[in-house]
Amino acid sequence: MTRFVLHRLLLTIPALVGLLVLTFIMLRVLPNDPSAALAGENATPDQIAAVRKAYGFDEPLWKQFVIYVRQVGTGDLGNSIISNRPVIRDIAERLPATIELTFISLLFAACVGIPLGTLAAVWYQSFFDHAMRVVTVAGLAIASFWFAIILQMIFAMELDWLPLRGRFPVGLAAPWHITGFYLVDSLLTLRFDLFGKAFAHILMPAFTLSLAGLASIARFTRAGALETMQKEFVHYAEAAGYARRRIVWVYVLRNSVVGATTQIGLLFGGLISSAVAVEAIFDWPGVGSYAVNAILTSDYKAVLAVTLVVGLIYSIVNILVDVVHAWLDPRVAEKL
Amino acid sequence: MKRRTFLMGSGAAVTVAAMGNRVALAQPMPDELVWADDLPGNLDPYSVSDVPMQGYMINVYDTLYVNKENPPKLVPWLATGHTISDDGLTVTVKLREGVKFHDGSSLTSDDVVWSFHRLLNVKKGPAAAFLPVLDTNGITAPDPTTAVFKLKQPYAPFVAAFPLVAILNRRQIEPNIKDNDWGQAWLASNSAGSGCYIPDISTYQPVQQLDMKRNHDHFMGWTHNTSPIEIVRRRSIMETTTRVNALIKGDVDCTDSYLPPDQVDRVLASKTATVSKNQTMRVMVLRMNNKKPPFDNRNFRLAMSHAFNYKGFIDGVLKGYAVRNAGPIPVNLWGSPTDLAPYDFNLDTAKDYLAKAKAEGAPVEREIEIQIQQHLAQTTQAAQILQQSLRKIGVNLKIVANLWPQLVSSTAKADTTPDMWAHWVSAYFIDPENWIGQMYDSRFHGTWKASCWYKNDKVDALLREARHLDDQGKRQPLYEEASRIIVADAADIWIYNAIELRGISNRLHGFEFTPIGSGADFRTMSLTS
Amino acid sequence: MLILRKFLRDVPAVIGFCIIVLLCLIAIFSPLIVSDLNAVYDGDLVSRLQPPSAEFWFGTDSLGRDVFARVIVGSRGALEVALTVVSLAIAIGVPAGLYAGYSDGWGSQLVMRLTDVFLAVPQLILALAVAQLMGRGLGSAMAALALTYWPFFCRTVYSEVRRLRNELFIEAQRCLGASTSRILFVHVLPNVASAVIVRATIGMGFTIMTTAVLGFLGVGATPPNPDWGLAIAEGRDYLPQSWWAVTFPGLGIFITVLGFNLFGDGLRDLVDPRLRRSR
Repeated sequence: MTRFVLHRLLLTIPALVGLLVLTFIMLRVLPNDPSAALAGENATPDQIAAVRKAYGFDEPLWKQFVIYVRQVGTGDLGNSIISNRPVIRDIAERLPATIELTFISLLFAACVGIPLGTLAAVWYQSFFDHAMRVVTVAGLAIASFWFAIILQMIFAMELDWLPLRGRFPVGLAAPWHITGFYLVDSLLTLRFDLFGKAFAHILMPAFTLSLAGLASIARFTRAGALETMQKEFVHYAEAAGYARRRIVWVYVLRNSVVGATTQIGLLFGGLISSAVAVEAIFDWPGVGSYAVNAILTSDYKAVLAVTLVVGLIYSIVNILVDVVHAWLDPRVAEKL
Repeated sequence: MKRRTFLMGSGAAVTVAAMGNRVALAQPMPDELVWADDLPGNLDPYSVSDVPMQGYMINVYDTLYVNKENPPKLVPWLATGHTISDDGLTVTVKLREGVKFHDGSSLTSDDVVWSFHRLLNVKKGPAAAFLPVLDTNGITAPDPTTAVFKLKQPYAPFVAAFPLVAILNRRQIEPNIKDNDWGQAWLASNSAGSGCYIPDISTYQPVQQLDMKRNHDHFMGWTHNTSPIEIVRRRSIMETTTRVNALIKGDVDCTDSYLPPDQVDRVLASKTATVSKNQTMRVMVLRMNNKKPPFDNRNFRLAMSHAFNYKGFIDGVLKGYAVRNAGPIPVNLWGSPTDLAPYDFNLDTAKDYLAKAKAEGAPVEREIEIQIQQHLAQTTQAAQILQQSLRKIGVNLKIVANLWPQLVSSTAKADTTPDMWAHWVSAYFIDPENWIGQMYDSRFHGTWKASCWYKNDKVDALLREARHLDDQGKRQPLYEEASRIIVADAADIWIYNAIELRGISNRLHGFEFTPIGSGADFRTMSLTS
Repeated sequence: MLILRKFLRDVPAVIGFCIIVLLCLIAIFSPLIVSDLNAVYDGDLVSRLQPPSAEFWFGTDSLGRDVFARVIVGSRGALEVALTVVSLAIAIGVPAGLYAGYSDGWGSQLVMRLTDVFLAVPQLILALAVAQLMGRGLGSAMAALALTYWPFFCRTVYSEVRRLRNELFIEAQRCLGASTSRILFVHVLPNVASAVIVRATIGMGFTIMTTAVLGFLGVGATPPNPDWGLAIAEGRDYLPQSWWAVTFPGLGIFITVLGFNLFGDGLRDLVDPRLRRSR
């Protein structure tokens, strides 16, 4: 097992290097020229040229990359062209919001999706099975921002049960910063009132974001459970007189969750992109909206940094997923 | 069993806790203003000169002169007055005494001179208005209340451009200078001003939020306002519908200054908010690249000018919230000829001009492109309206989406400049130079404002002369004549002068609109509960 | 025939199939359904944002154009985009996954690392980069989406093949002397197909959805294309009072994705050899 984990870690390194190269090439081929935008709306061509020189857009490509790699190594990802602060600081401020949102969404999707999928497999071809399939697919098919606006209209405007936007009420001091995750920090500082507020704010965005993942997780769990239930050991357990419920929830579940975990890993990266629409509607100050703004303003260093950070997180999550996969299904670890 | 009950129980408890708090969620504090307009990219007023930065700067910093009221008047602020020498080359400004910065130190002419030096060295944002006429060694401070500016050539809009330049606290910035950067890295997330409101930097999240508290010791005093606002919380909301919903719900006290006309009725119908409508100075224009055939042919340009459905756009899409503008200068500013007839929407006339252009050999058959910015809905709509009409007279217009930074950089050269593109020209300083001067004088070729690549020697001469004279009476006829020539040449398609629509909560009073800063001057505002 | 009967018993799958057929018919015969094709591009500004009525079944949009006509004609574009992207992604991803899953050694590792790299790059950024390279427009958006989607197929196929590799029947085939390609195409691929189909149908939905986001950023469909995603992006500012401009294209997407997914599910249940022998 340890060998597997180490092996997996080692495999991440070429992926990260590849990521660096790929993103740098990609973004450098973009012919955008932020020097004009940086120089200001009333600038003369001379001013634009001066800015271009100051920011190093004139250097040959390979030189820029070498400098860039050295900078990344020392943790210096440059300054955002717009906010003129270290990009890593901008992202660090915004990352907890996105991670918290993504995590809660995935948690919800998994907690609802896995049992749903297993039940659908157990009651194969029943009305429940059909209904579950249709409903989860409906969740996939709904345009997330349209659904978000509907939720807002109903729960925030009409009923006034939930807050309209943001992570936290305006003017109220956020929970004492320990992790940056409001839900965690408020619990750690025993401020249950703040926990309630943060929870109310995250409810609608996380629910909206979870819909797409829900379908995927439920379907793959169902497929995995169906397959497991064909297996001989299940027949044997039935024959041996084990309670049906125990078979399903203890043995089948564990094996079917395997399929779901791979999906969860894949979903995580996709969720950060999908979070863009949700972050926009609910005004969630996360990395998704930061990335979009960076693209719209040609904030070259910010775009690269977001890609790297998200890529890094994604790789870590994948390692974790693979380890969990190996733990659940020991055969995977054996055949390296 | 046990675990499940525990989970369900705690879930229920949390939900109850969340609901129980809902009363406190919606309403902001009674004496706090929640301002939901866009924040600038960073906090350094010399880094960029755009509408969000102006909205920020007018509250946190002071300038030598400010613009008040609508139509705007130039009013002395940090200055008490100025004199201009006969040759127009020396501007002497007298400063007010007893002005203090937020950190308690005194504001003197030394700070004024240093600020302008910084401006000319940083060379960004508002510097563009001054670089052609000012050198660092031309700015001096003979005594603590006098600043002297020696210009390289006479420049009429010089004083009108003063509101662009925030006066910075030298003593506060200098210790934070790194690598000769004039403190840019530090000032990007800090403040060093003297204005009516002091930012609380601990609350600053770039582009997202910033809290400010009132400066009780501001030199202008607070006697004009019986209940000024103590705390302003600026929050930026990206999505239009969320912003409007937040205003109607009472979460925020304003929207940005680009409220879609279709949302106006909804806001007016709500009990919590209203809409402030003011004619501003922001002209929407469809540029034509005069150097690319067939746009180099005047008849073709005339055909295009008659092919845009101005009335349909202004009355239909904008619901009447715009004023038809015949030429480049906003109709509510001097220099725009009052009798200038705008082009009308007439497809028959357009067809005639098209035929003439074709006879002269212009390549009217080729597919022309208009570049729009997709998240600015009006550029898309205007382009599609033009496309519909052009199809009827046999011209193929293709719509291409692009982003502002790319558009700006593409205008550096004539062959990379798009055939057509849509944008606005906002009021950076109140002077025709801001519009007609920087758009149609050929010396500005290579900048986005002059992206029509128009060249007319007579117009160049008129504009250059007007730039150097300082008497408005003498300048006005020059600008009017230039306007007439440019419009007759149909250099671009000018559509409207904007009526600014901003949603405002009913509890906000004292909102005073001026075209610069979009009325975001908190100094005059107060709240009723 | 037994298969057909079995398929017909799966009600959601049949519904999905009907939806797809209906969609294809609409897309093919759209010029006949929409009486005046000009209404798709030309609108009367006076009658903008009209609610659904007898004259305009789905109402009019912000430029006075008939939403019904736009939704019908937009179905063509939606199908084109979805099918092209997914086909491309399968064409790249499935062979890569087969190769990586079945063989060992550095070739397999290389493919999987490449997958990791492409998966780690946020879709949005990769799509924009490709669009910049190839010029803005629907073509480059499709290429970009295919490039972001092939790793999903590769990974799915890879994990399936890895699992299958150890199955008894594959080992048996190897002992009998079957060649690698025979094993891959005759024995492994059918087993893998079901996972691929399920992935593909999910991919349809994501493709159409991501195209909408790309359209908003200025990549992908450009005005006046009646693309559903673009229509939603354009209509957002008029919510909630002019709900029809967004709802009907949204319903179009919804029904389309629903159809593909339901059908894909049914197909998978049908094709999966493991499920064939029982129930």
